[in-house]
Amino acid sequence: MSTSRRAPATATRRDAAQADPGRLTPLPAGEPGDDPAGKPAGEPGGRPPAASARGLTKTYGRGAAQVHALRGVDLDVPSGRFTAIMGPSGSGKSTLMHCLAGLDQPSGGTVVVDGTDLGSLGDDALTVFRREHIGFVFQSFNLLPMLTARQNILLPLELGSPRLDDAARERAHELAESLGVADRLDHLPAELSGGQQQRVAIARALITSPSLLFADEPTGNLDSTTSAEVLDHLRRSVRELGQTVVMVTHEPDAAAYADDVVTVQDGLIA
Amino acid sequence: MRTVLLASLRRHLRRYVAAGTAVVVAVAFVVAVGVLTTGTQTRITAGAGAPFAGADYVVTNLGTQNAITYAAQHGDEVAVLGSATLPLRAGDEQAAGKFVGSVADLPRLRWQTLDTGRFPEREGEAVVDAWTAQEMTIAVGDTVTLGAGGDAVDLRVVGIGAASASLGQASVYITFDQLLHWRDDDTLLLDRAVVVGDPGRLPDGAVALTPQEHVAAEMAQHTGNVNTMALLLLVFAGIAVLVSVLVITNTFAILFAQRVRDFALLRCVGATRRQVVGSVRREAVVVGVLASLGGAGAGIALGYGLIALAGALTRNSPLGFPDGLPVRWLLGGFAVGVVVTLLASWLPTRRVVRVSPLAALRPDGVVDARTGAGRVRVVLGAVLLAGGAALLTVAAVRNSAVSMVAGGAALFAGVLLFGPLLVPRVVRGIGALLGPGGRLATENAVRNPRRTATTTASLLVGVTLTTAVLTGLATTRASVDANHGSAHPLDVALTSWDGPLDADVLEQVRATPGVGQAITVEGVLVEVDRGSGGGGGSAGAEDGSGGGAGSDGSGADGGGTSDVDADQPPLLLLSAPDAGLVARDGGTFAAVGAGTVALDADVYGDDPGDSLGDPVTVRVADGGADGSTAAGGGAAGADDAAGDGEHDVAVAVPEVELQVTAGRGWGGAGLVASGTLATLGTPRPHAVWVRAAADADPVALVGALETLAGTVGADVDNGLRAEVADDQMLGIITGATLGLLGVSVVIALVGIANTLGLSVLERAREHAVLRALGLTRRQLRRMLATEAVLLSVTAALLGTVLGVGFAWVGYETFVKAALDAATWRIPWLELAAVLPVGVVAGLLAAVLPARRAAGVTPAAALTLD
Repeated sequence: MSTSRRAPATATRRDAAQADPGRLTPLPAGEPGDDPAGKPAGEPGGRPPAASARGLTKTYGRGAAQVHALRGVDLDVPSGRFTAIMGPSGSGKSTLMHCLAGLDQPSGGTVVVDGTDLGSLGDDALTVFRREHIGFVFQSFNLLPMLTARQNILLPLELGSPRLDDAARERAHELAESLGVADRLDHLPAELSGGQQQRVAIARALITSPSLLFADEPTGNLDSTTSAEVLDHLRRSVRELGQTVVMVTHEPDAAAYADDVVTVQDGLIA
Repeated sequence: MRTVLLASLRRHLRRYVAAGTAVVVAVAFVVAVGVLTTGTQTRITAGAGAPFAGADYVVTNLGTQNAITYAAQHGDEVAVLGSATLPLRAGDEQAAGKFVGSVADLPRLRWQTLDTGRFPEREGEAVVDAWTAQEMTIAVGDTVTLGAGGDAVDLRVVGIGAASASLGQASVYITFDQLLHWRDDDTLLLDRAVVVGDPGRLPDGAVALTPQEHVAAEMAQHTGNVNTMALLLLVFAGIAVLVSVLVITNTFAILFAQRVRDFALLRCVGATRRQVVGSVRREAVVVGVLASLGGAGAGIALGYGLIALAGALTRNSPLGFPDGLPVRWLLGGFAVGVVVTLLASWLPTRRVVRVSPLAALRPDGVVDARTGAGRVRVVLGAVLLAGGAALLTVAAVRNSAVSMVAGGAALFAGVLLFGPLLVPRVVRGIGALLGPGGRLATENAVRNPRRTATTTASLLVGVTLTTAVLTGLATTRASVDANHGSAHPLDVALTSWDGPLDADVLEQVRATPGVGQAITVEGVLVEVDRGSGGGGGSAGAEDGSGGGAGSDGSGADGGGTSDVDADQPPLLLLSAPDAGLVARDGGTFAAVGAGTVALDADVYGDDPGDSLGDPVTVRVADGGADGSTAAGGGAAGADDAAGDGEHDVAVAVPEVELQVTAGRGWGGAGLVASGTLATLGTPRPHAVWVRAAADADPVALVGALETLAGTVGADVDNGLRAEVADDQMLGIITGATLGLLGVSVVIALVGIANTLGLSVLERAREHAVLRALGLTRRQLRRMLATEAVLLSVTAALLGTVLGVGFAWVGYETFVKAALDAATWRIPWLELAAVLPVGVVAGLLAAVLPARRAAGVTPAAALTLD
């Protein structure tokens, strides 16, 4: 599964930790929650960042209509922590997330995720990289309407190899259980509540044990009680599984669940 | 609303391209039929008068014999129109049957035009049609051979020319006197004469008209024929229009479903229902008008292009350019296009009415495009299915064409109505074969049952008709073959009526290209002791194809002399125990019981006993030559033939009395059992029977065997000729029908591509999610291609089942009634080809939508709204 053989030396420790993505593997070193908030990763005593951006720019359109969504962003996303990216609408936070997640090509600068420079990957390699190293949770859930909850959760694995082993099914069930949707696994998304859909989406994001989990306004379509549940689940995945989570949000309440908060304004880190 | 209409058109017109294409193709079809029909009419009008241009009167309804007599009475003032069909040989080139016409003696009655050379003035000279000359590489000064066997005549080519009209057109023109050389040939058909001056006394039944009157009468008939042809073509155009309706309906339904939010917003800001629906219908009108204009233009281009092409490929093409644009057809085609578009958009636009303004305010713009099968639809579908099946049963039992067409239409309509229930299940069934890799594609293909059903329905129409035609024609062909097999059991027979054939003839025949199998058949020449006088056998014996001769002979019955007619040529008796090796009926025709002789009804009349007597007494001919051996043969045969009772075992001249039975299709010889033959004398090789190879060129084969037969003194009976004609005709019908149905298949493919393309737009967000989750571009393209293939293969499978079923009903209704030896035949090979064609079609339909879907970056699609 690992495609990180070309990865720089700084990533080795993380690679060893993630050598077997088929199991829920707690991080071996340190207490994830004990890292001092806001301390940049890569400093002495810290671990290499899960993702880092350098001089990231993104422009849309040409000439007078040109929009600078990102104007040179430098950012390290610490490993094993819950990072929130905040900012008002149009600040560039979604663009930043898309570039970090390899969903969009930046106009300039580099993005390194889990030791791999995303700019060096072609579309297919990038797709496979996403499949194996990055998980997504969207604002509008984006479950495939014609697949059951279980099929949705297993989908990322199935895209890689059409044959699923029992271990994968077992793991899907475990995730569903810990997220409280185990009894809804055979339902279609249309038969689930919003909160249930989002929890299925989180299970889908976690099934591959990704290096990075991106959540784009995960509570934007949910009421406050359900929002709290979903955020709690995300936080638990950080605490209990050592998962690195990056959440884009404009709600301070949601950001309060995060370990670190990064604010984006007018295309720059404020 | 006007601003809205214009803006919608600007924004959505590209999405109407596929629906527009369907209309364009259908309208173009109708208009092209109009151009071709008008053009043919023009051409016939222009050419019809040519043969009569120099005449004062045209005498019609003469009949061949009367025409000959009439021409003889009036000399040069009369020229007879008509032709014989004769084999033509020029150097190495051979043709089995070419029309041979005559050139008038009087120059003002000659209506043919010459490219080079001059007209024939005496016997032994010929003008060859330019097209035939090119085809068979004939030039002025060459010698060509007309006719076969003893009737063959060598002619010097003195001119190359052309007919100025398709009427009376022939490949070779000779003088009328020369044509009368074949006055006894069956193929000589003369019917009309053109006359200078007073037509004089006419034979019974003949009518004299002025050329103008005659042309007018002819035209009326031709117009009828052309109209029939146009009607047939319009049936296919109608099928194309039906398929277009399905495609257009689907397009509008999908587009409107995608725009529900827009409509709701319009209602929110205060547009009335009527305003929204009116705007949408005006959109349909614009699409219909634009597409119909395009279709009319394309149809004219297509029609004129075909006429020009036909003109370039053949001289004397039956197609000519119309005098002016066929305005009525143009307007008709245009109207059809607009009306069809409006009709097809009616139902989908009605659904727009139901949109509630609230729909715009719902949180997520996700359109629930799920549609199911309504109860009305299911009930109506069930009624149509049951009614259709009942009508088809009636059709098969009563041989009723009307109930077959009505039942077929009802059943098919029922299947279409059941589509939303039926098609997704079939798609799932096929998709399950693909394993988990195909699951996404399968789920996508069936998620909107009605859309899936309509999309497949358009292809279903084409596939059903295609497979029905394929199976129907294969069955017809098999039945015709079976009939042909019993009517013409032998492909070719070389028969020697004089002495036995040399031993190496068989080898020579087997060495001839195109011969599949050949056997030597032994026989004995006998004299017939006729019970009743008649000359039937002789004509047949000389010329095996002289079908009518036998009946003439039987007409002369009643003489009552029982003497052997010394002038009669001997009869050849053959025995072929191994006929099964070459016969098309498995040798049944040659299996004759002891003590009987089978005679060919084509030669001796339906009841050969009338002409030869029944029983007939035969004795060995030319007893002196065969006498000594005949004694031994007779003695040996006596045991075999014991029980015949009647035969005389005289040592010198054995005489046998035989019961006469009738058969068909082997020529002038009589067939007897081998035991019977042995009692008459020593059987010698007298014939070689040939079975053509499956891939043989019949014309070349018969030509080569005729040449061979000439050198060894044998006659040739040709059973292949009739088969070639039948085969060619069925082949042309199959090809033409499939070509015409192809149009509807093309429209259906546009429809599949369209549905897929619009679905791709609708699912852009889902595709983005899949890409984000790790679906590669290639996997995405493959998923969409699989979806299209699932749809097309489902249509192909269902269509094949329906088509074969319809063909079976047609077989029960028509073929069984028309042919004795009707044979049900499923053309597995052709039907098997339908499936790969369906796969390829699905792949083609998926190319553009898949490319578009895969081109979008995931981030762009995720931020889409």
